Amino acid sequence: MFEWFWNILYNLGLAHKNARCLFLGLDNAGKTTLMHVLRDNRVALHVPTQQPTAEEIVIGAVRFRAFDLGGHEAARQIWRNYYAKVDAVVFLVDSVDRERFPEVKAELDGLLGDEQLKDVPFLILGNKIDMRGAAAEDDLRVALGLHTLTTGKGSNLVSDIRPIEIFMCSVVRKMGFGDGFRWLSQYLS
Amino acid sequence: MDFSQVEEHDGARWSWMTWPSSRLDATRCVVPFGCMYTPLKKLARLPALLPYEPVACKTCSCILNPYARVDVRSQQWACPFCYSRNALPPHYAGITETNLPAELIPDFTTVEYALPRHAAPPPVLYFVLDVCVSVAELDAAKGYIVKALSLLPPDVIVGLITFGRNVHVHVLAEAEIGKAYVLRGDKPYAADAIQRLLGVTPVPGAGAGGAKSASGAGAAPVAPAAGPAGRHPGLIAAARFLQPVAECEFGLTSVLEELAPDAWPVPENQRPQRATAGALSVAVAVLESGAASIGARVELLLGGPATVEPGAVVALEQGDAVRSHSDIDKDNAPFHKSALKTYDAIAARAVNAGHTVDVWACALDQVGSYEMKSCVDRTGGVFIQSESFRHPMFKRSFEKFFQASSVEGGAPALDMGFQATFEVLTSREFKVAGVIGGVASLGKASPSVSQDMEVGIGGTSAWRLCSLDPNTSLAIYFEVVNQHSTPIPEGQYRYVQYTTRYQHGSGQYRMRVSTIAGHWTDGNNVADLASGFDQEAAAVLLARMAVYKTENEEAFDILRWVDRMLIRLCARFASYEKDAPDTFALSPNMSLYPQFMFNLRRSQFLQVFNSSPDETAFYRSYLNRENTTNGLLMIQPTLMAYTLEAPPEPVLLDVASVSPNRLLLLDSFFYVIVFHGDSIAQWRKAGYADQPENEHLRLLLQAPKEDAAAILEERFPFARYIECDQYGSQASQARFLLAKLNPSVNHHAAETGASSESDAFIFTDDVSLQVFMDHLKKLAVAPQ
Repeated sequence: MFEWFWNILYNLGLAHKNARCLFLGLDNAGKTTLMHVLRDNRVALHVPTQQPTAEEIVIGAVRFRAFDLGGHEAARQIWRNYYAKVDAVVFLVDSVDRERFPEVKAELDGLLGDEQLKDVPFLILGNKIDMRGAAAEDDLRVALGLHTLTTGKGSNLVSDIRPIEIFMCSVVRKMGFGDGFRWLSQYLS
Repeated sequence: MDFSQVEEHDGARWSWMTWPSSRLDATRCVVPFGCMYTPLKKLARLPALLPYEPVACKTCSCILNPYARVDVRSQQWACPFCYSRNALPPHYAGITETNLPAELIPDFTTVEYALPRHAAPPPVLYFVLDVCVSVAELDAAKGYIVKALSLLPPDVIVGLITFGRNVHVHVLAEAEIGKAYVLRGDKPYAADAIQRLLGVTPVPGAGAGGAKSASGAGAAPVAPAAGPAGRHPGLIAAARFLQPVAECEFGLTSVLEELAPDAWPVPENQRPQRATAGALSVAVAVLESGAASIGARVELLLGGPATVEPGAVVALEQGDAVRSHSDIDKDNAPFHKSALKTYDAIAARAVNAGHTVDVWACALDQVGSYEMKSCVDRTGGVFIQSESFRHPMFKRSFEKFFQASSVEGGAPALDMGFQATFEVLTSREFKVAGVIGGVASLGKASPSVSQDMEVGIGGTSAWRLCSLDPNTSLAIYFEVVNQHSTPIPEGQYRYVQYTTRYQHGSGQYRMRVSTIAGHWTDGNNVADLASGFDQEAAAVLLARMAVYKTENEEAFDILRWVDRMLIRLCARFASYEKDAPDTFALSPNMSLYPQFMFNLRRSQFLQVFNSSPDETAFYRSYLNRENTTNGLLMIQPTLMAYTLEAPPEPVLLDVASVSPNRLLLLDSFFYVIVFHGDSIAQWRKAGYADQPENEHLRLLLQAPKEDAAAILEERFPFARYIECDQYGSQASQARFLLAKLNPSVNHHAAETGASSESDAFIFTDDVSLQVFMDHLKKLAVAPQ
């Protein structure tokens, strides 16, 4: 139950901003679970996503058209078909599965280096902090090579560089990602 | 009663074996009176083909069957449906009570006639190949078409269309190999314009050719007037494009080898221009005249979405995604409606000509199957969904499909039926309300047609099946119309006769006739009714209705409907004391039914979250095609456990069945999963199974894989096969299994320590079967 107040405030007559965002990340990072929680406020276990799906989700003042793309290796081939016209990338990481951090970093580096996404803000969600063995925020920041790249969580907006920030969360406990989306929505105009 | 044994007699399973004798009592049974019928099922008891014309009742057209009363002395028979007396034809003069023709022998309630007529020409397969794909994908697709040619019986007739932005109709006549007619993909040609351009219109007067002859409703199949195979006037006219495999295999293979990806330039951030509907329309038009009134299938091999109008499902710009379920719901899918209209029109033409469309969708993203579903579902076609032409889902399915598994008189033939007509005749106390399956209405009025009830495609007693195979299963629904005031005399049976006329893959005209009798009982005899309840057939019949409703109703309303039906059924047939949920009990015949409904509610058939519209179309298509056993598997998968201690055994589809020292094998029809419990996975990784003293462990690891392989061998479409471990790097793969399990222990319960022995739990807010059952009991025992 995150940010009721915030939602209500903006749902009362304030015009929504529209934004297209992509949910990316390796398989099992929690993309579909997050999508379901954002849409229905319910946790459910889903089979791995095969073909991309999309949902309309309202968070605060922003009406997101969110694309949930499969995270397994074959599915990643079509991520780039979705880069055009994108306003934000939400990149999920399973913060428990340290073995795969190098793989995560390689995928993330590829995204950050992509010409089409060069101005697009990146919200990185370190998911599953409710589980034992989850990496701490700073560990994850280092493991993903973001310690020099993240741009700060405050409300002082950066303007000349691409906004990137990490927020730790637990999708199944419905906590943490609200702050991340609030941060992200500041950059959506 | 073992209902799957009943199915062996006639290929039929009924939701209720015993029916209440009045309309009023029938409505109180809640679950509809229906039958899952597999017209071409391989029956162990089927007598050899009867090489003569069936004898029909002069009044109601009932085919002579074991329930007819035959008077051998007067050479007459009484029709069990309309009670008319008919004279036996003269050549039946020799029959006695002990020397009966097969159709009168009590055991043979299903017989099949090989009608003494000239055979039809062999079926036509028209390959329509998308060339807007990478070289690697195109090579794989080409390779498999070549392979299909080698598998097909040599007399099967084939053709090839390739398309990108334009549609290339390849000439296969020997002297002109390498030529192709090019039609613009973005021009909505009328069928006759295509036929004129390609010169495939049969010469007038040269027999029964022409598309119009195929539209004769419900008529017995007429051999093309031109007579023997190969002399079909349409095939003569279209011979440049359609040739027997034996004659064109070499030429067609060389055409395929020359084929390159579409040359039309594709700007950055754009999709290729793909004229799917244009190509499909040309193929259907060629077949309308070339294969008039004979069997034909279009094999559409598709590597991406249609982007050329008519029939585009998405814009050329890569930035515009193919529509999602939420886009369709919110009317935010600009291409959807016009594409539906385009494909529905093509489907109507194919149905009218009695031809089938199969779609082999091989892409990581959607191709527009959802818009094309009428072309497949209404023509009895198959959908295949695979991520690539190189993936086993495509390759194994494609191979299996073209394997001729039937040998007739020494010559191989495709084990399929074409140009079929399915008819239902009922005794007068009940009527047919409709069919759900790969059929189209033939609009035949008859006394067997229900006047006030329609389920699925109704208002007729005859349906067209453009094609069918031994798996094709129809769900047929009935209405009891007998009035309460006119009781049915004791000992009187109800009869239904299913007649399926078709062209076999060998060209032979055949007719299968099943005549099935059933009991009536007093509507208040709840025990009698309940003992004849086939919960598996009932679940599948209800599931097909629910899926049929998704065409026009909101998902939420359909779930409510499923719930209401279940509550009312339990309120009527369970034993309980009013307002005392603890006293609730269901007879063994019904005890699994609530669980089937629980899983149906959760299934991908009714829950579309995390499925694309294309995936939904694919799943639903198979529920509407397969028999009771397979349909049930899709609704509620089977789960087998393998341990060192005991032989393999079926276990509950529940997270409590997950255990560290168990292997699990889950079969959900579309997926087959071998799941290693954590300890088993550790042992395997440590290499214990490779040590000679651990032979038993090696065998244990092997057992579920072997069973899985046996399932995959049989299954069409080829199932996705997954091996995974409980934890570790394949955690996402394990979700294929976990998502199907009842979440008896979820993360909330695990937290409070109320966990199972296995410690396995599922992250979910979904209700478990136990909670569902508690609610059901409470509602069922409440005063209605």
